[in-house]
Amino acid sequence: MPHLDAAYNLARWLAGNGTDAEDVVQDAYLRAFRYFHAYKGGNMRVWLLAIVRNTFFTWARENRSARLVFAADAPVAQHTEDDALWASPAPDPETLLLARLDAKTLNRLMERLPAEYREILVLREVEDLPYSDIATVAAIPMGTVMSRLSRARAALRRLWREAEDAHGV
Amino acid sequence: MECDRAARFLAGFADGALGPWRRWRLARHVDACAPCAGRLEELRAMSTALREHLDYHRAPPGLAARIGTSLAREPGIAPARRRLVWPSFAGAGLGGALAGALLMMLLIQPGPSQPMLNALIDSHVRSLMADHLTDVLTSDRHTVKPWLSARIDVSPPVVDLAAQGFPLIGGRLDYIDGHRAAVVVYRHDKHIINMFTWASPGRPDAPPRTEARQGFNIVSWRAGGITYNAVSDLEADQLMAFVRDVGRGQ
Repeated sequence: MPHLDAAYNLARWLAGNGTDAEDVVQDAYLRAFRYFHAYKGGNMRVWLLAIVRNTFFTWARENRSARLVFAADAPVAQHTEDDALWASPAPDPETLLLARLDAKTLNRLMERLPAEYREILVLREVEDLPYSDIATVAAIPMGTVMSRLSRARAALRRLWREAEDAHGV
Repeated sequence: MECDRAARFLAGFADGALGPWRRWRLARHVDACAPCAGRLEELRAMSTALREHLDYHRAPPGLAARIGTSLAREPGIAPARRRLVWPSFAGAGLGGALAGALLMMLLIQPGPSQPMLNALIDSHVRSLMADHLTDVLTSDRHTVKPWLSARIDVSPPVVDLAAQGFPLIGGRLDYIDGHRAAVVVYRHDKHIINMFTWASPGRPDAPPRTEARQGFNIVSWRAGGITYNAVSDLEADQLMAFVRDVGRGQ
């Protein structure tokens, strides 16, 4: 199976548990197989990841999954001042603590992000996809890739700060 | 470059998504601007943290097999639609005539046709996706060769290229665009190479030629009345090296 690990990792981050992720991946590969004639060449991993994400969102809608928290509805995304914070003129030495973020905390915070933010961070930082491929997988324009990525990072950063404040790190 | 303008491009800079000109301008600005340098460092710190610490969930063992089973149950797995686009000559004038002449020149060149290339890639991908890579699974060439020759009218070379980095995986039978093909399967690191062979009695020899499409490379050649097509996602030069090794090993 080509790119099965990449497909499963994305599905697992989207679905939040292994059982659902397996169902999503299995369904996605079945679709990929049926619609292989529609594959117009290019990066096969990108093509498969796009099918995985579509399969997940279809599945989540049908099952009214709690995992399907769209960015617009998520509390973390309502803080639009994140963007302003991000572009604050003075560098904030505290935020460099991000570099010391421990793995467990980071994964836990990531779980709290909306699906679309988890998705774009996995595509960018784990799959190392360029913006153009992310646009293809997530079916959004390049400009939206940039703004969503920026909001996802700001949201993660805000969660990290809250965690820091709560634990007095 | 002003700070507020630079801030808009910092993420793109950290993600390597800027063109050379803008990248150079931004690098120059960041060198001279401590606040922007700080923000860039922060972006990179988050990226590093995610890359190093984010869980990578590998596919559980057995998932590939389960998908393979459900694919095998698919009713009427239709062959991929094969397209051969003919330019419309009628009323196309001189441009159409030139295009037609060019097309004829391309068609006269030896080498696999469009539907043939599509069929080869379809088969290659299906062999990977449906887990039907091999009918006979063995790294022993003395098993693969007789197995294939007992079932088909072609006896392809099955050579031991493990020392050259291409271990033998096995063989299978396939049907490619009207040809009964014996397929010898090799591996290079994680890349699978399907070498399709079929009998072409009386056809002249043709030197290897490379085609690239859909992210795969195909090397085609003909020798001693057998047509060969090696298909893989390997880099073209690596696949060509494999083809040379096959030729030497015969």
